[in-house]
Amino acid sequence: MRKTLAWIMGAGSFLGLASSTLANGWNMPAGVTDVSREIYSLHMTIFWICVVIGIVVFGVMFYSLFRYRRSRGAKSANFHENTSVEVVWTAVPLLILVGMALPATATLKRMYDASEADLDVMVTGQQWRWHYEYLGENVSFTSSLSTPRSQINGEEEKGENYLLDVDQPLVLPVGRKVRFLMTSDDVIHSWWVPDLAVKQDSIPGFVNENWVRIEEPGIYRGQCAELCGKDHAFMPVVVRALEGDEFDSWLAERRKEAEAEASGVDREWSMDELMERGEQVYGAICATCHQPDGSGAEPTFPALAGNEALLNDRDRHIDVVLNGVSGTPMAAFRSNLNPVELAAVITYERNAWGNESGDVVQPSEIQALLEQ
Amino acid sequence: MWEVIKSVLAAFFGVQKERQRQHDFQHGKPGAFIAVGIVMAAVLVMLVAAVAIMAAR
Ligand code: HEC
Ligand SMILES: [Cu+2]
Repeated sequence: MRKTLAWIMGAGSFLGLASSTLANGWNMPAGVTDVSREIYSLHMTIFWICVVIGIVVFGVMFYSLFRYRRSRGAKSANFHENTSVEVVWTAVPLLILVGMALPATATLKRMYDASEADLDVMVTGQQWRWHYEYLGENVSFTSSLSTPRSQINGEEEKGENYLLDVDQPLVLPVGRKVRFLMTSDDVIHSWWVPDLAVKQDSIPGFVNENWVRIEEPGIYRGQCAELCGKDHAFMPVVVRALEGDEFDSWLAERRKEAEAEASGVDREWSMDELMERGEQVYGAICATCHQPDGSGAEPTFPALAGNEALLNDRDRHIDVVLNGVSGTPMAAFRSNLNPVELAAVITYERNAWGNESGDVVQPSEIQALLEQ
Repeated sequence: MWEVIKSVLAAFFGVQKERQRQHDFQHGKPGAFIAVGIVMAAVLVMLVAAVAIMAAR
């Protein structure tokens, strides 16, 4: 009696420990979509099946080892084969496996059905950022890490969302089916957001599909899940889920901005306009490396303030910003920034922080270079 | 023939009676087991494919 009680208490405390471990953030999240919750419950069902099997198998094993030990005079049985036992221990696992495969397959089938989406988003991996394009909406932008360099270099305390923050999150509507078309410009990346139960490889030359229907507004974070080079850890994913009408007005706003920018390419911009726009772009993208005051961080990141060689060579300046410097952290910005942003940031760099080249770079000039 | 099919099925399942095994090794021809094995493997593949196609509909 007391023995049984000890057994029950042992098993109970094991189960308690297991469930509290699971509840303490060690487990996968249940997520905020139908599919993610289905995956979670599959995971838990299979987990508990494994726990029960483990307890039964090891229980029988340890009990037999203990109960029939030699010091108590146990004699080993000496027989060969028992067809019915063999049939049972083959059939039972088979049934368990099939029983787990059936619901798992049904979920997989749902996960692969990306048809009839309300919104298409093209997701492109790039070393080391994500590019999002809302297909047919004329809205696209690049989402890059916004954790300050000083935190990465250990000069400042790490923030709450260290390496999980971006300048522009992907904004999605709640309650609508969003289809992702995933591809890559360079190497294989993987777009992964645990709360949405989406982890999809983005492969150059291929377009993979996936979809979500988010149920709760909120911020969901993830990371690139495919080792893609030096800054693999520095290309997080942030999804901001908004209610349908909020999303619609956000999208309309972005569309208007895009149209304004597009019409801005053809017109002549004034120095002041370019400087203002350029300061925004510089602060958002370039300042992490070249510093807000253009002083850089020698020897890795060259100073742009007072950089005579650069100021005397306008063409090289434009070329570096458009095409990057291969083999260095200086990326090509030709496809991540639009002509207005490119012209503005170059103009800004040539006239800010005491740089007095007086040069104006017009968006139309950049547009012509991009079309070459 | 039926004997051979039964033995191949047992091999697919992974469990065979000792008596049947003795019998096969004394009276059966290897060629027959190989031929039936190949045919039944093909049948198994087609069965699985059929189930998959049906489930995908
Ligand atoms: C990830 C860090 C990083 C970011 C972000 C970055 N740069 Fe650079 N940049 C570099 C590095 C490193 C070099 C030096 C490349 C080399 O070795 O020639 C460089 C060089 C340059 C040069 C040439 C300087 C010279 O003297 O040759 C210009 C101009 C420049 N960057 C402009 C920009 C602009 C404009 C932006 C933002 C749109 C930007 N950079 C963003 C790292 C960065
Ligand atoms: Cu990556």
